[in-house]
Amino acid sequence: MDEAAESLFPVEPAARARLRAPAALARAQQPAPAAPGAELWAGLHLPGITHERQLTQLAQQAQRFTPRVSLEPPDGLLLEVRGSLHLFAGVAGLTTALTQLCGQLQRPVRLAFAPTPLAALVAARAGRALQVLEPAQLVGQLAPIPLTALRWPPQLLQRLKRIGVRSIGAALRLPRAGFARRFGATELAQLDRLTGRTRELRTLFRPRERFRRRRELACELESHPRLLGELTRLLEEFEDFLRVRELGVMALECRLLHRHGEATACRLSLAAPGADARHLGALLAEQLGRLRLPQPVRALELRAGTLLPLTPKAHALWQPGEQGGDAGGSEAHLLIERLRARLGHGAIHGLSLLDDHRPESTWTVSPPPAPAGRAAAQPGIPAVSARRPLWLLAVPQPLAVRAGLPQRRGALQLVSEPERIETGWWDGRDIARDYYTALDTHGVRLWVFRERAAPHGWFLHGIFG
Amino acid sequence: MDDPKLARLLEHPAIWRGRSAARLAVLPSGFAPLDAQLPGGGWPRSGLIEVLIPRFGSGELSLLLPALAALTRAVSARWCVWVSPPLMPFAPALVARGVVLDRVAVVGGERPLWAFEQVLGSGACDAALAWGRRQPRARDIRRLQLAAERGRTLGVLFRPRRAARESSAAALRLSVEPAGAGVRVTLLKGRGAHGVVELPGL
Repeated sequence: MDEAAESLFPVEPAARARLRAPAALARAQQPAPAAPGAELWAGLHLPGITHERQLTQLAQQAQRFTPRVSLEPPDGLLLEVRGSLHLFAGVAGLTTALTQLCGQLQRPVRLAFAPTPLAALVAARAGRALQVLEPAQLVGQLAPIPLTALRWPPQLLQRLKRIGVRSIGAALRLPRAGFARRFGATELAQLDRLTGRTRELRTLFRPRERFRRRRELACELESHPRLLGELTRLLEEFEDFLRVRELGVMALECRLLHRHGEATACRLSLAAPGADARHLGALLAEQLGRLRLPQPVRALELRAGTLLPLTPKAHALWQPGEQGGDAGGSEAHLLIERLRARLGHGAIHGLSLLDDHRPESTWTVSPPPAPAGRAAAQPGIPAVSARRPLWLLAVPQPLAVRAGLPQRRGALQLVSEPERIETGWWDGRDIARDYYTALDTHGVRLWVFRERAAPHGWFLHGIFG
Repeated sequence: MDDPKLARLLEHPAIWRGRSAARLAVLPSGFAPLDAQLPGGGWPRSGLIEVLIPRFGSGELSLLLPALAALTRAVSARWCVWVSPPLMPFAPALVARGVVLDRVAVVGGERPLWAFEQVLGSGACDAALAWGRRQPRARDIRRLQLAAERGRTLGVLFRPRRAARESSAAALRLSVEPAGAGVRVTLLKGRGAHGVVELPGL
């Protein structure tokens, strides 16, 4: 059995090990977290920073020194620089370069180097330009730094102060079990991270990505189908870009560049993040179809708006609408987008109730209903009990009157008791009307009213349908 | 096949026969006399219905509303879309008749037939109603019927009564006219559908 299996794989064990080697190599090439002793963090304290955007801007710039940059809002930035030391002439060279960078952006900075991120940050906050390269020296160097640099709650610092503990060294000398009991386990864990007793894993800063790509055409094009063909290639690149990052897009701009004059822009907004080139292409085709190009097109440019994380969709066994199927959420999104692309943004809307007694103010147009799931029933608006028509005229239509009775394609026959609606005196759109159900000569049921005020006009306001 | 024992055996719910797939999935109309006349015992669950009316407001919407309301109240209900209605549906009256407004959407715009086909074929809707202003051609009706089957949607197209002379690909065709306080429904086309139904109080 064994031999048979061997014969199926006519490769010597040593050779197989070699075959496996690339995978091992790939593992080694990953930016593996270095052993605790090997890290060296540069802590930057930036007191002038007021907005998180300024911090990310600086983080983006700081990536030229190391790929491992981490944010500490509101005013701290951490760089792991052990691997970069020899490239920037050691700690001294790096200090100069970082100070220069912050100087260019006009941000005052205080810098410290330490083997743990928290220690580097705390030292920088305390204004001590520590340069601790060896973990063994860390505790000794940290000892004189005041505890306030840890930014613990003021009450806790007050209590520690009362027992004479003002510096990090003094806090570290307290018995561990007692410290955890009296001052909190989280603070003890923070001290452990400070001294490197436990390792701190920091989330690394990743710059925001964007997509902007341009495609020069071999010759100037005017025909829509050929433009779409070129656009499809661009969209396929875009789809690849999004797929590997698991991102989707909600706004997209396609610019058609001409030899002279302004570029023609064609904007697309989606109802849900999408990454499907074919879908985007179909929507852009609708928009392009309505465009009139002033000149032939020389180049195409695709610009994506904000990229959002895209959750891959699980496909259900049941179709929407079948027993056990969902409410067709994604189909509804596609439908909204298709209708809007062709007919404009107001092409689809929903209805909702308002709390009012005037028939024309009891409802309003709302955004399209949420496709999946069900919103809670509208609270507080009682359903009308009296009979109401299914159709309402936007503006009541005056009716001719003959012998005291309203006319519409012949005399109307009033078939109900009057219902009086008299309200709205507080906002100047007050009404005082007597509503009746009426039948016209063809048997169509109408909702008509007579104004209470002179000249007692008759109006058509609804059709029962 | 005519053996009653065999027929009874084949009625067992666990037995599925290819032919039984042809049976229509239906939706009760809410009016027992009408259900008795409609093929399968109700409105088709998917497909196009043509409702021919002498004039707008002849009771056609009241006839359909019980079924539409039931659709919007269902668990995991899809949308019920109104494509280019001539007037605005009066939301409080819909709610009073049991429609869940959260499932209702209104589509406006210039191309009602195109929008209707998109809505029917999207698979996002349980039902869709349309009032075509331009007279649709027989080919358009066929496209709408196919779209409704593709999207598993009940499509309702309201047309003037003179369209009765034309042939149509719709699954069901009926004419509605007012009669006293109710309506008179005449079934014009459908699998096994025939006859006239009077529904006195609507």
